Amino acid sequence: MTNSELINKLNNLKSINPDQKWLESNRELLLSQVSNSGAENLAVWKVILIDVSSALKSVARPAYALGVFILFLLTGSLFSGQLLAKTKPNDSLYIARIISEKVKLNTTFNPVERNKMEVRFASEHAQDISAVLADPAFNNEANQDQVARLNNSFNEEVKTVKEKINHLNAASNPTSKNPSKNSKNDEVIIADSTKDGQGIQIAEDPTLTTIDSIAPDTITAAPPLIAATATLTIPAELNLLATSADLTATSTETETEKLEPTETDKILDEAKQLFDSKDYLKASDKLKEVDEIIK
Amino acid sequence: MNLVQKFKDKQALSKLKSRDKEAFIKVYDDNVKDIHRFVYFKIGGREEANDLTSMIFLKAWNHIQNKTLEDAKTLRALLYKIARNAIVDYYRETGNKVTASLDDENNRIEVVDEAENPQERLDRAANLELIKSKLPLLKEEYREIIIMKFINDLSLEEIAEISEKSRGNVRVLIHRALNALRELVEPEIRQGNKQDDNL
Repeated sequence: MTNSELINKLNNLKSINPDQKWLESNRELLLSQVSNSGAENLAVWKVILIDVSSALKSVARPAYALGVFILFLLTGSLFSGQLLAKTKPNDSLYIARIISEKVKLNTTFNPVERNKMEVRFASEHAQDISAVLADPAFNNEANQDQVARLNNSFNEEVKTVKEKINHLNAASNPTSKNPSKNSKNDEVIIADSTKDGQGIQIAEDPTLTTIDSIAPDTITAAPPLIAATATLTIPAELNLLATSADLTATSTETETEKLEPTETDKILDEAKQLFDSKDYLKASDKLKEVDEIIK
Repeated sequence: MNLVQKFKDKQALSKLKSRDKEAFIKVYDDNVKDIHRFVYFKIGGREEANDLTSMIFLKAWNHIQNKTLEDAKTLRALLYKIARNAIVDYYRETGNKVTASLDDENNRIEVVDEAENPQERLDRAANLELIKSKLPLLKEEYREIIIMKFINDLSLEEIAEISEKSRGNVRVLIHRALNALRELVEPEIRQGNKQDDNL
């Protein structure tokens, strides 16, 4: 005999019930006994109150669980970004932070904003690396491989910061489509191919000054766009390619931010020197100055 | 347990706590057959089962009025727990576990199903009598679990709550109880089949 056959036979025993007459008489008996002990018919308002509270109690636990779950998701999503930002290069969740930063970069379409973000991220990475290497509990004989890797990473991050700042500077070049927006002290330098190659045509807006020719010996070595003379004043935004110390820059405010590449380069070089000399904390502080500049 | 069943259970408990007569009658009507069957198969006598069943419902009423209802998650589990305790008290008072057989000669239970033909009815009646005669021979623990699971259709969770065992334990017990009952029943069936063949 199989289990299912036996179970079928057992199920048949469900048909065994007490006598109907006994059921009814017993019902009356019990009812009279509980009435004597104070049982009564409930008022309608009490029945409604019981129904409502029973309904609440029935759904309370699942609703509570659902509420906790939703709260957990919300707080998780709110704080995960902050938590990830605190991870260090030697943490297991650091990769999650990198991925999160990459997502943010990919979803930023403004190139200027993206470059600023990259500068900020690279600077933060470099600062974190310095902080980790400053910790003697990590920076010891046992972790030499990781220390070497972090040293290389620091150099890469500093290089990234420099490159991105250069991009930002290039993007903020005011030789834009609307020269009238420049202040009247600005001078616009235009390369004119009709010239004999010895000079450039300099024009000032709105009163553009044209120089037909410039004597070659007054031109210092420079890329073709700019001819440097002792008397030439060039806006600071165009100072990217200048190599002569005679160049003076007038600072002017434009719509884009003013950036001092040489200053940031100096800061970055100093930070690197401090890092190489194992003064990690000072290197980190130096990098924070870059953050202040690009803000 | 689904939400609707949960709601009905909480509603019934709250109404009973508030001494609602209607609620008590409803609880009685919904559960009396199952409780009576449980008691009957445990102790074997019909009259005794009638008396005990009445006592169980009164005890449940008093329990709900006086206690905080923390010892049972559902009303049904509470009734079964009270029933088990009542049966233990009955055993203690009477000094016996169960009457020799559930065959109550004076009050033989006749189950009539109009859809069955006479042969089917005979077969079913024979099976019923066989199982009834073998159930009392099972260990108390096994008998109880077979009654709850296969006769009264309680779920694993309910049985676990009533017997204060884990679900795993209950599953193992069910398996062992069925095996034990089969060992008792199979020889009788084989013998019955042999006799039929000889005829």
